[in-house]
Amino acid sequence: MPCYIYDGSFDGLLTAIYDAYYNKDFPEQIVSRDNFIDNFLITKVYIQTDEEKSKKVHDAILQKISRHAMSGIMYAYLSEHENAGIYILEYLRFGFKTGRIVDSYLADDRVNNINRLVTKVTREKHLLSGIIRFRLLQNNIYYAPIEPQYNTTCLLGKHFAERMSDQIFVIHDVKRSYGVFYDKNKWFMSDISIKEDIVFHENELFYQELWKHYFDYTTIKSRINPKLQSNHMPKRYWKYLIEMK
Amino acid sequence: MDLNEKIKILSDSAKYDVSCSSSGSSRKNKKGGIGNAAPSGICHSWTPDGRCISLLKILLTNYCIYDCKYCVNRVSNDIPRAAFTPDELVNLTINFYRRNYIEGLFLSSAVCVSPDHTMEMLLKSVKRLREEFNFNGYIHVKAIPGASNVLIEETGKYVDRMSVNIELPSGESLKLLAPQKTKESIIKPMGLIKSGIIQNREEKLKFKSAPQFVPGGQSTQLIVGATKDDDLKILKLSESLYNSYKLKRVYYSAYVPVSNHPNLPAIIKPPLLREHRLYQADWLLRFYGFNSGELLNEENPNFDELLDPKSGWAIRNLDTFPVEVNKADYYTLLRVPGIGVKSAQRIVQGRRVSMLDFDDLKKLGIVLKRAKYFITCKGRYFPQKSIPTNPVSIKNRLLLEDNIRDHENVEQLSLFSLFPDIMAAELHMSRITGVL
Repeated sequence: MPCYIYDGSFDGLLTAIYDAYYNKDFPEQIVSRDNFIDNFLITKVYIQTDEEKSKKVHDAILQKISRHAMSGIMYAYLSEHENAGIYILEYLRFGFKTGRIVDSYLADDRVNNINRLVTKVTREKHLLSGIIRFRLLQNNIYYAPIEPQYNTTCLLGKHFAERMSDQIFVIHDVKRSYGVFYDKNKWFMSDISIKEDIVFHENELFYQELWKHYFDYTTIKSRINPKLQSNHMPKRYWKYLIEMK
Repeated sequence: MDLNEKIKILSDSAKYDVSCSSSGSSRKNKKGGIGNAAPSGICHSWTPDGRCISLLKILLTNYCIYDCKYCVNRVSNDIPRAAFTPDELVNLTINFYRRNYIEGLFLSSAVCVSPDHTMEMLLKSVKRLREEFNFNGYIHVKAIPGASNVLIEETGKYVDRMSVNIELPSGESLKLLAPQKTKESIIKPMGLIKSGIIQNREEKLKFKSAPQFVPGGQSTQLIVGATKDDDLKILKLSESLYNSYKLKRVYYSAYVPVSNHPNLPAIIKPPLLREHRLYQADWLLRFYGFNSGELLNEENPNFDELLDPKSGWAIRNLDTFPVEVNKADYYTLLRVPGIGVKSAQRIVQGRRVSMLDFDDLKKLGIVLKRAKYFITCKGRYFPQKSIPTNPVSIKNRLLLEDNIRDHENVEQLSLFSLFPDIMAAELHMSRITGVL
């Protein structure tokens, strides 16, 4: 069975779905170029990203399944799970057969696999909307570095653009070297490579200190429970948290 | 006094207020403004005690004229005192908010000079945040008992949530520990806020642009373990607050010793497990269709600390079980121990397309640890040797399973301290084989 290799973009993934569907093909894997590990048993099929094909798949999902299904596979894609591609294909095959009601088949693996990934991505997105920390830089930009487990940075733009509508900010996904930018008008995504040093605004450290103090004093010492703390806020996120340094 | 010192004193005094939720309001940002409210609420950090930080929880001042025995800020307590100027407070809030440290402000205060004076200071601060700084994030403010109606109503127009802490669950306890407060002075502002919310809802129906009044609802807090009041009394009180005062939340706070007055019990550890049981029961009242009389009665006025309230109820009412997962209606499913709101909804959705089996339930993410004693799938019990059907053995099984998860706490269970050797041997086995 062949292995589909796409360029890593969402359009590329949808093109792969299109090709598999219309060639009546059953690929064993659908992986992005970066995650592909070659061996001599694999028949490789390189997918040419084609926006027209991708749009057709997109429209078909909205028409024949649901908007909910569309956002489901988007989130599954963002999970970057090694099997996400093949899970999405199986889910869509099932969805095109059953239609809108597909998401009621909660116990079916084809639906369950997607739901599990969606839950993970949704949770991380919600957590990040609370635990990213902006630092005010000398040039009056609010800068927040993060390293999410899943590719959730792109989901944060809308939330922060609405909330911090009068401040320029950058949310920097250090692991994936891209970021969400907001310029007081609209938000957009772009690649980031930082060359010069990051210089804080003169007040920045003052407020960081205040925050750390607040964090310490608001703890009730007779109820200490570090396990509960790290259940809610896993240690992998502590690196960029001002209060945990 | 510098700002660091003030934060230290005024957050230290505010932290025993447990409410921290930032949910229930969907206030939108305005043009050129800062902040909005997320209806789900957002937690921004978790302190080492495992509690979340959502709002900047702080007192305007801890200078107090009252002498409530259970409170750190009582006038007779020798602690450092401080007060924020409205400017300092507003600046702090905005700067924390812009850095995404917090979801908003939870402003409270000790009663300084008089209730009216204090309420006026609170009002001034939130008004400045909303009007001068165009701040649209979440604000929770304490209504000060004894403050005039006008001030409380005016404050309600600027905030998302208001609360009045009852603290002590009965009039007698109040007399004993907070002689300057009366039941009436606490209940009055609650009634006022309630009617304000109802009136605002009616106005909203007529005029879409009517200003909001406490859109996140009101809450209160009860201290657990500072007085002799039993769980039944506390739960009955919560129930009537939910029913007649339409409260959003009642919080329970295990009493943390902050004073050694002779009227207070001498306790070393706060009664955290009791607090936990009350929260579980509170959820049963609000989301599961239970009433307090089903969970507790005059003969059993306190919760079993070893067993959660829903399991306790189910074991006392075994005649209504087992429940057939594929047939039972939503509210019956909700009463099964181990099945919560989400699980019940998933079952109802999943069985529309196919009959559910135990394996399916697992895939739906339903935990069978408790539920398996109370349900059948397609008419059959969980496929395991000898599912007990009498109350005593079900209870023992539930306790045993709890204990295996948490085997460090073996001593806490009296059942096992009776047979220490047997238990130790069995636990040792289960650690090796991974099964019981």
